[in-house]
Amino acid sequence: MPESEIELRDVRKVYYKDRIDIPVLEGLNLSVPAGEFAVLMGPSGSGKSTLLHLIGGLDSPTSGSIRVADSNLEQMNERELTAWRSRNVGFIFQMYHLVPVLTAAQNVELPLLLFRMPSSERRKRVATALGVVGLGDRMDHRPNQLSGGQEQRVAIARAIVTDPRMILADEPTGDLDAKTSEEILNLLNTLNTEFGKTILMVTHDPRAASHGQRLLHLDKGVLERDERTPARAPAAVS
Amino acid sequence: MALPLYYNWRNLQRRKLSTTLTFIVVTVVVVVLCVLLSFTAGIRASLAATGTNLNLIVLKPGATAESTSVLVPDEIGRLVQTPGIALGSDGSPLMSRELCVQTTVPRRLSARDKEPAPANVAIRGVDPIAFDLHREVRIIDGRSFQSGTMEIVVGKAAHDRYEHTNIGDEIVLGRMENRIYKVVGVFDAGGATFESELWAPRTSISDSYLRRFDSSVVMRLQSVAATKAAVEFINGPTVQLEAKPEPQYYEDLSKKTQDIVVLSTILVSIMAMGAIFAVANTMFATVDGRRREIAMLRTIGFGKWAILVSFVVESLLICVSACSVGLVLSLLAGGVKQDFLSDTTWTVLAFEMKITPGILVAAFMLSVIVGVFGAITPALRASRMRIIDALRKA
Ligand SMILES: Nc1ncnc2c1ncn2[C@@H]1O[C@H](COP(=O)(O)OP(=O)(O)OP(=O)(O)O)[C@@H](O)[C@H]1O
Ligand SMILES: [Mg+2]
Repeated sequence: MPESEIELRDVRKVYYKDRIDIPVLEGLNLSVPAGEFAVLMGPSGSGKSTLLHLIGGLDSPTSGSIRVADSNLEQMNERELTAWRSRNVGFIFQMYHLVPVLTAAQNVELPLLLFRMPSSERRKRVATALGVVGLGDRMDHRPNQLSGGQEQRVAIARAIVTDPRMILADEPTGDLDAKTSEEILNLLNTLNTEFGKTILMVTHDPRAASHGQRLLHLDKGVLERDERTPARAPAAVS
Repeated sequence: MALPLYYNWRNLQRRKLSTTLTFIVVTVVVVVLCVLLSFTAGIRASLAATGTNLNLIVLKPGATAESTSVLVPDEIGRLVQTPGIALGSDGSPLMSRELCVQTTVPRRLSARDKEPAPANVAIRGVDPIAFDLHREVRIIDGRSFQSGTMEIVVGKAAHDRYEHTNIGDEIVLGRMENRIYKVVGVFDAGGATFESELWAPRTSISDSYLRRFDSSVVMRLQSVAATKAAVEFINGPTVQLEAKPEPQYYEDLSKKTQDIVVLSTILVSIMAMGAIFAVANTMFATVDGRRREIAMLRTIGFGKWAILVSFVVESLLICVSACSVGLVLSLLAGGVKQDFLSDTTWTVLAFEMKITPGILVAAFMLSVIVGVFGAITPALRASRMRIIDALRKA
């Protein structure tokens, strides 16, 4: 058994809003081995995004422990979490969240600005990342000159440019048509199989779910079902 | 690690209108500051250059300036007895009787005006001895007037500014405006207010304006130490006039000017506050419009500090570039000669717009203060935003 890349023990998350407690996650346990492509489904409001945010170190659990990429997130302060995110996680969102005033290359370069490296090295990495997502020829295009699918590719390039161990994707195909979705999902499969990235993807689309090796069902704050999807085998971890 | 400058620069271009408006506001504040400071510096320099502590100026008690003072020959006669008065080479007391009147002279045409605007100019009737007391006054072109003639010399600043003040020109003066004086020289007074005046023989002016009295007497003392006794004698029962050392007189004269300076300072402060609010308003709108972008930047690893700095830098980009434009405008206006109406004497003091290094620094500081104070609250809001909240809401 490969060692767990994501390990959650008894995680509770309660939002407190307008003087009422909103329990979202109630004693959740989860273990995702390195190199796995896991898919998280569940009804709206079941806490999928919340779970993803906890795993990505964007928020802290009310109780329980979260160990991701060899770090105990619940013990880290905000500064440490910020630095940890930049090194270990690539995020992909439904709405891409590209900076409209920057070119594709500049958008992809953003996470690299947090690292000390010569600009030639940065340029090389940006070109590589954009090449991986198939947009090597769109370096100087602005987001509004790109299609939705291309924008999401740029966002994926931005997520992988720092070569993180793990990719967290929240409904990455939620805004795309079937054909484009398929292309994006194949790209994620490539990242998983060829580059060995651990991926956790939230989706509502059952067809998207079939791209993963494992399907998790979240409902009312607990994992209801946890099943293997037949066709695909886990990526080999080097 | 900080966000790159081009990120801020592009974002400024994204909202052209509000950037431009803020830019204009800051530019205006900078220009007003420059005008105010160079004006203050000009007045100060000109008043500081006027007068020496060795000279006492004597006026009628209660007169606020030479123009409202009347000294009759009897009173002047008693001044000769003043203790400590200096004597000239011929053994007579160094005392200059001066008669101040005023006239209107058209300004020289500048590129901007179509019609020459008239200005109130002071004319000082003096005897040749005046040049022994006002040693800063030197003829720099032509010659001095001859006693008893209708000749006139003009101060350098007046010469630069008014029509009919070239050597050989004629100026019509007199109560009935029927006496023609001929310009024979131009004088320098080391920057003193005299440079804004026209000087002519006292007897001629007295004649032309039918004045049988003088406005003031300036007397030279043997030493500064003699001041106290001399002033006490003149202010005392024997003479019953009012004496002041020249520098003090000009300083008192500038009190009104000081008021204007204080008022303008308040004005600039209010304008700067307005600019701060304009910047804050723009920056708040920016922050609100970029919530998700900020959340994304925080998500990929930019810290709170990077976000805070980025918004302050963005505001500084506007303010400092507006400052540069304001300074360039002020520099272009540099050398523009502006008259300042002294409301004590109702004559004009000429001053020149001049941007000194000190003014450059002050303008730069002001724009930085406006930029930082305007941006700090919105930037704090941006940096304190909770990532997950900003990611959720559209
Ligand atoms: N910051 C917050 N403050 C208060 N309540 C929140 C916050 N974030 C999420 N919630 C609540 O937690 C619950 C789970 O939200 P979450 O966004 O995780 O659901 P989700 O499974 O991602 O739903 P969807 O499929 O619609 O994206 C919801 O009831 C939501 O209202
Ligand atoms: Mg969600």
